[in-house]
Amino acid sequence: MSEFLEATDEAAALESLHDLSCTDGLPVVIPTPSRVERLVLASGLDADMVLGELGPAMGIATVEKVAVAAVMAGCIPDYMPLVVAAVKAAADPRFDLTELQATTHCTAPLIIVNGPARIECGPVASGFGALGPGHRANASIGRALRLCLINIGGGRPGVSDMALLGHPGKFTYCLAEAEEDSPFPPLHTSLGFDATDSVVTLLGCEAPHSVLYSDNADDPEDAEKLLYILSTGLANLATNNAIFTSGTALVVLGPKHAGVLARANMSRDAVAQRLWELTHLPTADHDYYGGQYGSRFSDEEYCVFAEPENILIMVAGGSGLYSMVMPNWGGASHANCAVSVQVENNFFCEIPGLSGNP
Amino acid sequence: MRDGINIAKSGIPSVALVTEDFWPQGDFVAQSVGMPSIPRVKLPHPVAGTGEVRMKEIADNVIEAIVDRFAA
Repeated sequence: MSEFLEATDEAAALESLHDLSCTDGLPVVIPTPSRVERLVLASGLDADMVLGELGPAMGIATVEKVAVAAVMAGCIPDYMPLVVAAVKAAADPRFDLTELQATTHCTAPLIIVNGPARIECGPVASGFGALGPGHRANASIGRALRLCLINIGGGRPGVSDMALLGHPGKFTYCLAEAEEDSPFPPLHTSLGFDATDSVVTLLGCEAPHSVLYSDNADDPEDAEKLLYILSTGLANLATNNAIFTSGTALVVLGPKHAGVLARANMSRDAVAQRLWELTHLPTADHDYYGGQYGSRFSDEEYCVFAEPENILIMVAGGSGLYSMVMPNWGGASHANCAVSVQVENNFFCEIPGLSGNP
Repeated sequence: MRDGINIAKSGIPSVALVTEDFWPQGDFVAQSVGMPSIPRVKLPHPVAGTGEVRMKEIADNVIEAIVDRFAA
């Protein structure tokens, strides 16, 4: 059972939560017992069911504690299966959450949603401004995970979360793949799931870096030029990936850029393969600029990413001249890899009479 | 800090070297793993990248404290 705080009214409760460092600095919805109960019911899971352990505080993430965070973040019941899946992914040992929360790097967990849950548990935006403000599900689902990392995982700036600056995605970082606008099969099918599955993929990564490419259908080198530009954003010497030579980075192709690659008859795997090739960089530069991480390679070029599979590719955003890349940290024992969890939304439960409660 | 804890857990005496900027995090980690009194010595911040002369100076300044913690 969660501990209870008492306050004379909601304004006093909010101040109390701020004082206890239980918020992300923004106002939260007060997690009253009835609001929490409503989201626990929506999960279809027992309140005391353990979803995992969240470091560095090694707090136990029960469904009830996660529901508290979801209420505070402004989630509605529909979103709970996605919040639960995101927390499970964060608690997966392969995600190395303790190290991700503690690193001086600015990494934040990005939630990528694929499959029918994009609509059924949202809608989670995948188009214009999907990573910006104005999309309730994206904003509150990502924020719910962050509040779990603060209040269950104990990640607090300067004490246990040692990110030197952090980035705005540490408030919320969530989007869906624009599967209908993509020429490729959905991302999660590349990760071993069926297209009909609903999946949350969690990747600790930097803030999105914009990639401009002005495409030209008459240019026979159009796809290759786009891939070159993407590769320069993905793995320049300012990135951890290029210096540590580890990690998994994300490419978010805008639908127009995805179309450029489709016109060249490139599959998702072919795109990843070519980006992997284009992110082979001169060893001399790594030696010169790599500081304590340099002088590790003997060939003229070195691989930034271990395998093409370390470059994830998804499609999202409005259609135009921009895509985005998210390099990542590359540290910890699993090298900052992506973790995917199937969304269990068959248990969703809304109890008549509770749904209207504030 | 976590390295020191993991080494201590494996039965090898250890003293964690923690820079002053990371001292609160060291306390947090030590508490969270249930080893609040794990030996640690405070270093100035930063150490990395400050050059060999400075690092030797820091080492000279803390070596006695490190030995004391091992002897304690």
